[in-house]
Parts: sequence; C-alpha cells; structure tokens
Amino acid sequence: MTANDKKHSKPGKPAARGIRQTMSDLHIWAGLLVGWILYAMFLTGTVSYFKEEISQWMRPEVAHQAAVPDAAEVVPRIAEELQQMVPGSSQWSLGMADARNNVVSAFWRIAKPAKGERGFGSAVFDPQTGQKVSSRETVGGEFFYRFHFQFHYMPVLWARWLASFCAMFMLVAIVSGVITHKKIFVDFFTFRWGKGQRSWLDAHNALSVFGLPFHAMITYTGLVTLMAMTMPWASSAAFKTQAERQAMQSEISAFVPAGKPSGQAVPLAPLGDMVRQAQQRWGADRIGRVTVNNAGDASARVIVTYGDFERVSISPKYMLFEGSTGKLLEVKDQVGAAAETRGVLYALHLGRFGDTTVRWLYFLTSLAGTAMVGTGLVMWTVKRRTKLPHPDKPYFGFWLVERLNIAAIAGLSIGMAAMLWANRLLPLGMEKRSDWEIHWFFILWGASLVWAMLRPAKRAWVELLWAGCAALALLPVVNVLTTDRPLWRSAIDGDWVFTGLELTLLALAALHAWLAVRTWRHQPKRKPQRQAAPRPAANSPAPAARDVDSGATAASAAMAPDLQEARP
Amino acid sequence: MNHLAIQLVSLPAFALLALAMDRHQLDLLGRELPPGPTRGLRMAGWLALLASLAIAVGLKGWSLGLVTWCGHISLSAAIVLLTMVAWERRKSVKK
Repeated sequence: MTANDKKHSKPGKPAARGIRQTMSDLHIWAGLLVGWILYAMFLTGTVSYFKEEISQWMRPEVAHQAAVPDAAEVVPRIAEELQQMVPGSSQWSLGMADARNNVVSAFWRIAKPAKGERGFGSAVFDPQTGQKVSSRETVGGEFFYRFHFQFHYMPVLWARWLASFCAMFMLVAIVSGVITHKKIFVDFFTFRWGKGQRSWLDAHNALSVFGLPFHAMITYTGLVTLMAMTMPWASSAAFKTQAERQAMQSEISAFVPAGKPSGQAVPLAPLGDMVRQAQQRWGADRIGRVTVNNAGDASARVIVTYGDFERVSISPKYMLFEGSTGKLLEVKDQVGAAAETRGVLYALHLGRFGDTTVRWLYFLTSLAGTAMVGTGLVMWTVKRRTKLPHPDKPYFGFWLVERLNIAAIAGLSIGMAAMLWANRLLPLGMEKRSDWEIHWFFILWGASLVWAMLRPAKRAWVELLWAGCAALALLPVVNVLTTDRPLWRSAIDGDWVFTGLELTLLALAALHAWLAVRTWRHQPKRKPQRQAAPRPAANSPAPAARDVDSGATAASAAMAPDLQEARP
Repeated sequence: MNHLAIQLVSLPAFALLALAMDRHQLDLLGRELPPGPTRGLRMAGWLALLASLAIAVGLKGWSLGLVTWCGHISLSAAIVLLTMVAWERRKSVKK
C-alpha cells in the first residue's frame, strides 16, 4: 500500500487510480470502521478456545479432575438428582464432563414458567457425587465466548447482526488486503526493524500472511455460523411447512424436540445401559451429551449425542432410545452434503475437535489475527501522524481514532483481567454475582476509554499497558490469597488447567510490559522540517526520501504518539 | 508426537524457502548465491513443505490433517521470521 501511496502522492502527477490503490483505500477504511469491534471480537474469540479452562479457573471450589469419569456411571447419578429437582420438565440435557470439563452442565425446560420467567433453567453438577456444584456464581469463560459474537447489554439479535456486519467487513478487508499487498511472496519473510511505518507495515503483513489460511477460514466460517439469521431467504423459500422446517433442523442440529406427553407415567429405563450402547459404538470417552425428553412419561425419549472429539464436523450424530424400554430407535450419523458442509465449516470455526496442541495452534494464530487488527489500527495513526500540521494538536478525526485505539487495545486487556479479578474478589454470597463480574469487565474497559481521552496519547498508551501488565501479572497472586490452589501446588498436583492458565497470564503480562517499555523508550526523531514549515508533507519533494525519512519518525512514534510531550 | 513430526519437517521447509531468497541470502550469508543452489534450496523447501503435508494427512486423515497442517505452517513461518529478526538484531548490536 505504501508503494502505491508513493506513486499517488507524487507531486504534480496525478496517477491513475489502479486496482491496488482502490483496494488499498477499501482495505484501510473497511478495516478502520469496524476495527475496534473486530479487535474485541478477535481477542475474546481467541481466549474462547480455552473457555472450558477459564471456566474451571473461575470455579476454584471444584477440584481438579485427574481422570475423566465414565459417562455411563455419571448420567444415572445426575439424572436421579435432576428428576427430583425439576419433576415434570419436558426436556433436560446433560453436557458431559470430559478431559477439559470437570463438571456436568445441565439445562432443562421449566415445566410451568412463571410470568416473565425464562423457560430454561441450568446448573452445573459434580460428576462424582451427582450433586449440584456449590461454587461461586459465575458465567465463566462462557462470557467471552458469548461476547465474541453477541456482545452484551444489547438485544441478542441486533448484536449478532452487528457481529455479522463486522465479519463481512473483515472478509472485505482480507480480500482487499491480499490484492493490495503487492509482493506477498517476495516480502514473505521480510521484517525491517526500527523503520517506522515500514516496520509496522511489515509486522502487519507478516501477521496477516502467515495466518492467512486461518484468518480467511475463521472469518468465512464465522459468517457461516450466523448465516441462518443473516440470509434466511433460501431456507424459508425451500422449507415452507412446519414439518419441512423440522426435517431441515434435524439435518443441522442434534436437537430432538419433545413430543406431546402421553400422560401415562412410566419410569425411565436405566440410562447407564443406553449410554453403554453408545460407548460400544463410538468409544468410551466419546459421549458428548445426553438429553431426555418427557422423562417419567410413556413417550419419553433419550438422545445420546457424540462429542466433539477428533471429528471436524458438528453435524448431528446421535442415538435415539425409547425412554420407557431403553430400546434403540434410531442411529443418526449421516446428513446430506449441504448440511455436512455447514457442519464442517462450523466445526472449523469452533476448533473443539482438536487436541491440546491443535487448540494452542488455534489460539496462537488467532492471537496473531488480533495483532493483525491491532497493528492495522495503529498504522492508520502512524501513517497520518507525519502529515499532521501540528502533531500536538491533531484534528478531531485523528484524535478520536488514536484514543479509541488506546482504549480498544490496551483497555480491553484491563477489562478482561478485571473480570477475573472480580471473580476472585466479589463476595461469594453477593446478589447477582455473576452479572457483576461482567459489569466489572465493562466498568474497567470504559474507565480505560476515559483515561485514554484525558491523558496525553503516549502516556495513556504506556500507563494503560502497564496497568494491563499489572492486572494480568497479579492475578496468580490474587489466586494465592483467595483460594487454596496457589500456582506451585497446582504444578505439583499436575493440574495443567490452573498451571497453564496462570503461566499464560504471566506470559501475557510480560508481553504488555514489553510493549509498554518499547513505547516509553521510544524517542521519535524530530523532523527538522516540522519546525521550519507548517506543512511538512508538502515540502518533501522526493517521494523515496520522504518515505524513508518520515517512516523512521513515524516508526518511532509507532506507539509513542505526542512528539511534544515525550519529555515532560 | 505427531505434532512434533509435522513441525520438524515444516520448520526446515520454511527455513530453506527463506534461504532461497536473495534478500535473506544477503542478510544471512552476506552475499547472493548463484541461481543453481538457489533453485535447489527453493525446490528442497517446497518438497519439505509437501512432505509435512503428507505427514499431517497420513497421520490424521484429510480433515484433521489439513487443519493441523495449516496451524503448523503458520507457526513455522513465524518461527523462521522471528529467528531472522533476532539474528539481525544481534548482528546490528554487535556492530
């Protein structure tokens, strides 16, 4: 994009707008417009690859699970408890404990919801005892996952539309970015250190190109996950009746709607036997979910669903049993090609099929994607700073972008860490405790925005990066003080969930510290022209020289904005 | 173990591909290599990259193998780039 800018800005010779220049403009503005939201979607989505682990960390009362319990033993235990808790519920469902989950997550339909009450209830159970887990009230890592495509404090439907809209812009930015990037192969391994704008562009390119398969895949599949909402016309044209729609649903979801209860009470046949049948078919650790419709009624159905293991598809794969007798009624393990395509794309996005290494690869490339958006945002300011007539008094648009960058990038880390702090520090019996964990996320994120607006830009970067570093680095300390599971004990016990998560927090803290130090040390070279002439951009005749020269300045100013206040 | 096998082949693949480029030959060796060896390096790099794909698909099947391989090549490319940046930085500090 610089190459074209050079051409474009050559004085006295208005170059024809080539495809690259057009694409470059598209790339810049599509990226900037939704960049802040994309950054948040990317980062919260990135950590969601470890949402189960985050959830475990946020429920420190539930002990580390050394071995995965046998689903055939766990299910009857919890089913018994649930039938007493929610008798008459038309449907309840148990998400199994597995290598990454130390609890069973249950949800159920409430038989007769009171007015204004939601029709669903949920709770987590201890697979060993079958009892409801008595841990602090928290949404856990699920919050980041939900936030990543439906945000918060706004109607879910609107939010998903907004997320789809941003993802579409992202796709546009990726395609236009590839076209703009003139020398993908020649510059493949190129990184020029300390060259200002050039370095930012190199970093942005490397982050984009290396992760390109992932970025394109994740954006496209992200759109696919929401396609039924954004583009309902094809399916509403093709499937007109209720029965047709239901048939379509059964191709894409393992959800089997509960039929009308017969009213004749018949106890459930032993659930353990049904689970064993499924285990024989798929393998002992492959049970993902057990759903029971109309438990205790003659019409009861039991659906045992395959988990996410080593299967790159989320298309329904389940066994359907008659609840009263335990007879196998149906085995569903194939769907049509279109449904399977969707199932595969969806699964690729979620990445739940992967082992730990694959999930780390997802996490790292996704983090690179986050950095790609972040460097893109910063570059917008780096590129324009050199052209500012008064660097210390930028025009409003520049000021706004710069401040939003600070809050969106440095502030988000603080907000996310704040939620984990709240998880440890809020009183256990507090009313609406899990809501308040989320409120604290937004309070601190909002406070960062205010801070970024009030402070000089460079100092705001440095201060908020240090704040983010401290918030992350002190989390293991807070954990020592508030739980009986300090890092060293987790390590000795071989609890890789706690150990891994806290070591990752420390690594991220170190990353923030590095960024803060580099930003602070950065001494932008003053450009002599700047004092001499009010419009430095106009009096740099040789484009090549200008590029190198102003590049260096901007580079140094990379994250270190206000030239004037570098030394107070 | 499977992952290690993929990474151990895709990493040298990218290193070879980087070495096959004039700019990085200048940076790392101080001179440009003649076209013959350069072509050899490039061929070897692509072959190694294909081999890593074959290993991934062979070990994990097409669906899982392809996804895993994409993750590994992103990582290898990043490692090669970061190593070269570190190398350059060390050289410029020494000077």
